Amino acid sequence: MLHNVKDNYIISVKDHVSQFEEKSFRKLASNDFKSWPSPREETWRLSRLGVLSRKEIIPITPNFKKQISSVSKFDGSKIIRFVDGALREDLSSKLPPGSSLNVLGEDDSLRCFHKFKDSNLKDHPSTNVSFSCTPSIVKLTIEKDVKIRDLFEIIYEGGDDYTSVHPVLYIELKENSSITLIEQFNHLSSLIMPLQLVELKKNASMNSLKIFNDNQQSYNLSANCIFLSDKSNYNSFSLIKGGLFTRSETHAYLKGENCNLNLNGVYLSSKNQHHDLTTAIYHDVPNCTSKQIVRGVLGGKSTGVFQGKVRVAPDAQKTDGQQMSRAILLSEYATANAKPELEIYADDVICAHGATVGEIDDEQLFYLKSRGVSEKKAKQILVTAFLRDIINESVEKFIQNLVFEEAELALLEIISKDI
Amino acid sequence: MPLLEIKKAKLKLDNKDILKGLSLSVSSGEVHAIMGPNGSGKSTLSYMLAGRDGYELESGEVFLQGQALSDMEADERARSGLFLAFQYPVELPGVGGMSFLREAVNSRRKFLGEGELDHLAFVKEARKVASKMFVKDDMLKRAVNVGFSGGEKKRFEILQMAMLKPKVSILDETDSGLDVDALKIVSDGVNAQRNDENAIVVITHYQRLLDYIVPDFVHILSDGRIIKSGGPELALEVEKNGYAGLINAA
Repeated sequence: MLHNVKDNYIISVKDHVSQFEEKSFRKLASNDFKSWPSPREETWRLSRLGVLSRKEIIPITPNFKKQISSVSKFDGSKIIRFVDGALREDLSSKLPPGSSLNVLGEDDSLRCFHKFKDSNLKDHPSTNVSFSCTPSIVKLTIEKDVKIRDLFEIIYEGGDDYTSVHPVLYIELKENSSITLIEQFNHLSSLIMPLQLVELKKNASMNSLKIFNDNQQSYNLSANCIFLSDKSNYNSFSLIKGGLFTRSETHAYLKGENCNLNLNGVYLSSKNQHHDLTTAIYHDVPNCTSKQIVRGVLGGKSTGVFQGKVRVAPDAQKTDGQQMSRAILLSEYATANAKPELEIYADDVICAHGATVGEIDDEQLFYLKSRGVSEKKAKQILVTAFLRDIINESVEKFIQNLVFEEAELALLEIISKDI
Repeated sequence: MPLLEIKKAKLKLDNKDILKGLSLSVSSGEVHAIMGPNGSGKSTLSYMLAGRDGYELESGEVFLQGQALSDMEADERARSGLFLAFQYPVELPGVGGMSFLREAVNSRRKFLGEGELDHLAFVKEARKVASKMFVKDDMLKRAVNVGFSGGEKKRFEILQMAMLKPKVSILDETDSGLDVDALKIVSDGVNAQRNDENAIVVITHYQRLLDYIVPDFVHILSDGRIIKSGGPELALEVEKNGYAGLINAA
């Protein structure tokens, strides 16, 4: 029975692409969508999608007249809007010189598709489904030597019950260019499958902040593929607080020497939310650094997952790879899973990882209480400090307060229930 | 009425008797020193008084200004005027010193019906007190106790004491880890706060601290009980003869 229902979404996806030619990237992608990942697959063991097979979902047909509800988080930013997974140029800002936004044609889309398929995200459900069903692949290009001073803000919203949404964004930073990008996910949809391909050319630098704040019935299966060339720098921070089920999976390929990667993140989970940060970092060449700091605060019956794989190829000598995850449980019914994985084939490397899951530290709590601070307030202070620390370390100064306020809202929600 | 009264306090940890009927009465204006060898129950006594989880009395009672402590959580005790200077002050990464102090002081002021201090007034007051304790502004901006030296941690404890104006202060081995100069600064800070309205209980191994904070009464704690009480001369006797003689005589 389950199997038949499971097939329904596969059939909807095939229906959705029936009008396209056999050789189109959409058809190719849909042919590869054969089923949802099984819990027997190692990276999906802790984040199971079985429930999606029991839902009746169809890929959305974008409504280009839909009213928008999300507001910009930062005054003066350049805004790019996606509604129902489709770029809305009419609602987006004019971009500054040296930056451009294009809808890709068939050939370029196919190339983008193959880049994803050459990565280990090739079997990710979002890869195949979103390449099948996206309204179009959108490319953001930053030209050579252009340092974008404006903050770019990408706002994704739309969707509704029983639909799936498929924004696909390809970001290319040419040599010596740089940008800071904030993305917020504010869908009402039942299933969101955003894809992002980032290519950083020599000496390019990107700061990325992603805020996952879809509504509490939604599933977000975000997949991101990052390619770094020589001396490039990718610094990202993900704040996961929304959705019933949000998984952000990022694979980064360090292809050029002397590049630097930070994939930090925080998940704040309450009620029956399931949050998952999954990363895979591939050190293929020598002399690169990667760092991951992940923190979680969980209340209610929520579940958090951090899976971080670091692979250091035999040639990737002098790699420095650090990984640290910490989760605080505020409720006895919450669960946090941490699964660091190091695969090191080179011998001259510095790699470290650590993971802790626990309650608020007793000693710290007692110290604050012994100064007259109530238990509730003391816990709030300690958890807030736990987040403030990593936010200050991870994001640029001018957006630290913004991120912190976003985190604090979710934190108060958890604290009001569980402390 | 004494400010602090401990009546026949008995306490077990891990099923082992630690306090075995300890009694002590401390009145306003007094400084009491509690001395004892390792394992005599000194730190247990301070945690019990401060209300740490797991340090509840099996029998007996403690009164702070006539009010029984057994029903009060650690934070209520602190707001009511009890202060514990920790032997090992706890690091609070990410919690700024100034905001920590303000939270603590305002909790106490609210309890006393004094109204919370606004930010500016508070910072001014904190800086004034800090400079007396040789606590630099920079230390107040940093996370509480993170990266502080042993001396800085103890100075920050006494700074908190000065800001909170407690009725009864328990100083748990405040001399441990201090060199002579730091010991003098910390002791001066404590002495500056002695007055007729409050009381201080100094818990220590060594007589050394009592050269600087001169007690009115000295008590010898051994095996969970006070076995002897006297004046400052008792501390000198310990210094000269050790604890063994006193314990054997008791």
